[in-house]
Amino acid sequence: MKPTTVLKIFRYLVIVLALLIAGGWLAFVPSAQEPPYQFVSAWGKKGSGPGQFNDPTGIFVADGEVFVSDSRNGRIQVFDLDGRFKRQFGMPGNELGKLGRPMNLTIYGNELYVAEYFNDRVQVFGLDGTPKRIIGKTGGGPGEFNAPGGVAVAPNGDLFVADFYNQRIQQLKADGSFVRQWGTTGKIGIRAGQFNYPTDVALAPDGRLYVADGYNDRIQAFDSDGAFQRKWGGPFAMNIFGPFNGWFATVTGVTVDQSSNVFVADFYNHRIQKFSADREFLTSFGTKGQGPGQFNHAIAVAVTTDGMVFIADFGNNRIEKWMRDN
Amino acid sequence: MKSFWQRTTLVLGLVLMSVSALPAQQAYKLRVDGLACPFCAYGVEKKLNAIKGVQRIEVDIATGIVTVTMAEGATLDEATAKQAVKDAGFTLRGFEPMPATHTP
Repeated sequence: MKPTTVLKIFRYLVIVLALLIAGGWLAFVPSAQEPPYQFVSAWGKKGSGPGQFNDPTGIFVADGEVFVSDSRNGRIQVFDLDGRFKRQFGMPGNELGKLGRPMNLTIYGNELYVAEYFNDRVQVFGLDGTPKRIIGKTGGGPGEFNAPGGVAVAPNGDLFVADFYNQRIQQLKADGSFVRQWGTTGKIGIRAGQFNYPTDVALAPDGRLYVADGYNDRIQAFDSDGAFQRKWGGPFAMNIFGPFNGWFATVTGVTVDQSSNVFVADFYNHRIQKFSADREFLTSFGTKGQGPGQFNHAIAVAVTTDGMVFIADFGNNRIEKWMRDN
Repeated sequence: MKSFWQRTTLVLGLVLMSVSALPAQQAYKLRVDGLACPFCAYGVEKKLNAIKGVQRIEVDIATGIVTVTMAEGATLDEATAKQAVKDAGFTLRGFEPMPATHTP
């Protein structure tokens, strides 16, 4: 083969490769539709005193208060929206009122629901910290858990629980009785409706259920009847992780705001990504680091009714507050 | 008749001898890759904690080193540790006995 022919083939290959990359970028890397959020403030450092954390792993905001799972300290800490410490409750243990690695949280009907990873249960507290009841126990049967990571509550009181090691999402009545599940117990899967260590759940105002499908690096959505609707995260949402817009690197938290926008804690990408209800990428914020507006593994996210966003910054043992750049 | 001080010395000596005769605490250094996420690290910790005789577990997320300290006289074999780590969804990359660090 002549050198000029080899050169031509090489040139064509380079062009084809460039076209493939450009096509892939256009197809799988969306551009932002909204301006990024602005960092407001941060509070906390490693420790066990009030306002200090040892692994913050969950966060929820309601009625002007920020509730944080302070996991290794086995407690919930409560702050006002400016980070001023208000109260705390719980200590490590497995009796009523004690906590075994509390994870993602939710509040419904003036009650706080805490997924307890070590105790295989959901514990319900009054917002003042009064322990009220325990739902679930260790196991793989209906209504049992193996390291629950997150919980959401529907208007009728039904619970939706991300049952991490059981590779499923369970729907339970308020008394803990089993209603149904998504995913096959103990079996990892990549297809629609299957999970790879689900970490959190959130319910939209219309009843749509969002699942943080942790190690599949994607979000899955199910309608209020339980039917699979959509999934997203990287090409074909099939466990292809990456740092680009709309891609994830382990999803550890999901929440929905009043306008049905979906906020996702993108753990290894050290950022929060925001999507519309129709999975359109809107914006993202955060980079890796220890400075203001940076994260060392963003693990959980909460949004107020007026759009302020609070993030549990796991590795930096702090909470960050962000708001939209109007 | 022995004096008070002689008897006290004898008792103290016996106490010291019995303490030194207690079996030593054993610890193990386990290397597990990919432990940066607490969902993973807590999983390893939870499975290892379920093993009989395990007294304390320390997970260094940054290095992937898990230190398991056993109760007095208890030991941990590699196969058991390997299974616990596997149940947590990980692979055991290293297993090394080491002296326990005594803490109150």
